[in-house]
Amino acid sequence: MRDLMGDLTGRIRHRRVNATEGILAGIILLYCVMVAAVNPAFLSVETLFDIVRSSSTAVIVGMGLLLVMLSGGIDVSFMSIALFGSYVAAYAMIRLKIDSLAFAFAVSIGLGTILGLVNALLVNWLNLPPFIVTLGTQNLFHGVMTTFISDKTFGAGVIPSALSKFGSATLFTLKTRQGVMGLTAAVIPMSIAVLLTWFIVSHTLVGRGVVAMGNSPESARRAGFNLLKLRLFAYGYIGALSAVMGVVYISQVNAVYPNKLVGSELMIIAGAVIGGVKDTGGRGKVLGVILGITIIYLLNSTLIFLGLSSSWNNFFVGTLLVASVGVTSWQNRRKNRKNLLFTE
Amino acid sequence: MKMSDKPANVTKKAKKTQKDGSLYILFGLTFVSAAVFAVVFGESMYSARNLRSMAYQMPEFGLLALGMMLAFLIGGIDLSIVAIANTSGIMAALVLTGAWMLGLSGSALIAAAVAAGLTTAVIFGLFNGFLITKLSASPIIATLGTMTFYSGIGMALTGGKGITGLPSGFTSFGTAEILGVPVIFICFVSVAALLSLLLSRTALGRRMYLYGENPLAARFSAIDIESIGFWIYGVIGLLAGMSGHIIISRVNSAKVGYGDAYQLQALLVCVIGGIHPQGGRGKALGVVCAVVLMQMLSSAFTIWQFSPYAKKLIWGSMLIVMLGLEYLSEKRNVRRELRQKVVH
Repeated sequence: MRDLMGDLTGRIRHRRVNATEGILAGIILLYCVMVAAVNPAFLSVETLFDIVRSSSTAVIVGMGLLLVMLSGGIDVSFMSIALFGSYVAAYAMIRLKIDSLAFAFAVSIGLGTILGLVNALLVNWLNLPPFIVTLGTQNLFHGVMTTFISDKTFGAGVIPSALSKFGSATLFTLKTRQGVMGLTAAVIPMSIAVLLTWFIVSHTLVGRGVVAMGNSPESARRAGFNLLKLRLFAYGYIGALSAVMGVVYISQVNAVYPNKLVGSELMIIAGAVIGGVKDTGGRGKVLGVILGITIIYLLNSTLIFLGLSSSWNNFFVGTLLVASVGVTSWQNRRKNRKNLLFTE
Repeated sequence: MKMSDKPANVTKKAKKTQKDGSLYILFGLTFVSAAVFAVVFGESMYSARNLRSMAYQMPEFGLLALGMMLAFLIGGIDLSIVAIANTSGIMAALVLTGAWMLGLSGSALIAAAVAAGLTTAVIFGLFNGFLITKLSASPIIATLGTMTFYSGIGMALTGGKGITGLPSGFTSFGTAEILGVPVIFICFVSVAALLSLLLSRTALGRRMYLYGENPLAARFSAIDIESIGFWIYGVIGLLAGMSGHIIISRVNSAKVGYGDAYQLQALLVCVIGGIHPQGGRGKALGVVCAVVLMQMLSSAFTIWQFSPYAKKLIWGSMLIVMLGLEYLSEKRNVRRELRQKVVH
């Protein structure tokens, strides 16, 4: 039975790789060729490293979002959590004069996980749309942090050196015409997040449980899954990953602001949706999220090469998002109608 | 026959008490806070000047909240209302300032500008409706996408800069008064009254409630939910467009990003006003009452000189608390309903 199921899902998965991810990879390739044709300066290691550096934070938190969206929920408070965790960690380090990267990650992840669990409990208890619940906690977390902890900005001078060193650290460097270029060390937490999420989603019981809950909460419950535990896991996981992302972010920016990050959730959600993750749950893949986020960061950082100002960002991202939502939901609707399903 | 009549009757009765109950609580809450503010602030809250300034501030987010209410009632959500308001305001401002030469002047120019702005808003709204009802996209994701798209259009048109220098004939609308009551406030009240009548007295209103309560059942009861949803999102666009015109006439300029805080407030007002986020329940009167309550709180915060962060904390926690109360009252109602069913 289990082999049959595995075989079946394997086959379905294989076909879906060719669909969404293939199209996305095609779009990315086509777009790169187009940009390179207009402006050959685009084709450089520098651009590549730059995109990796700027999108690494998004990919980390995108992995958490994948799990939450697979569970049939959504979280718009993750940037608030990222800010909360990293701000408090940096604040404690400055106050207590601790200069350790491990401390920063530990404090931040601890706080992030707790806030994620709060989200899960509220979503489970209130039994209301997670979007509205997490919109509330987004403001709540940010408000609690700025009101009760601190709302000061810490600039490059006071930031603990462990953080700024991590932010500018590189895995290896290449000598190019523009100078020495390095690949950011943020690739390490990013790869860990990607591999861990892939492993959880496809090879663990809890990961399959999350997917099952996303497909049908009632069936998952009857199959013996505890929905509360699955929610605690999914929202706690995104909380922890957001906290990691927060530390990476403040290291890269080399400053701690009380008002950054919050409000930029949309780009990550857009990346996940473009990458084929369904907000109704049960559908979505690690590779899709990575490609979706890549497209968005590619657009953001290459419009200049096409001679367009950055005010066109939202226009293109929005067009892409609306087109992808429109096409996928229309395909789904057509399939459902063929099977005489009118549930949506 | 009689047997089958009874449960329906009981449910109706139970539902009636529940609806009116939450409305009475809301009235009570509003009056209590009005009284408390009278004691705490005295003159500064209820001076003619402050009352008038509240009447000027209410319509812009009141109209957005009414739009959000319509979306909630049919079981959807519209996250693009602020983007629609802004971009339709920008369209109107572009015509007004003569950036788009039409060779008009005076009142003809103003009429053309308002027509252009409102047409844009309605088209945007209908496009939302098309995505959600005809392509079966999920409302959250669809309107998240169109929010980016619409504000992207506004951003691309203006480059992020404000459009200033609107003709005085237009801006005087924002400050006009009849017998000391702002015209825009009269507009808001009449729109609210119209919507209230539509919801409670017409067949369309009844169908909207049925649609929100159970779309599948409504569809199989020969209610054309797709057309209803399509046009309702158009009406939401119109309301957002009206709000956008009020904003630009009051601020005397148009810019992307005006009123971003209204997004959360509109959601909050709906939840406080007893509009159930999952559709089918709530009244326009509740929303109007909640708008008044929110405006009083906003004024109090202004007098207290709360920081934006503290406001965030309060709005966020209010949203969570109201959702919690909603959940508790629903649980109690279900229990009461069950008990009544057993007794009869």
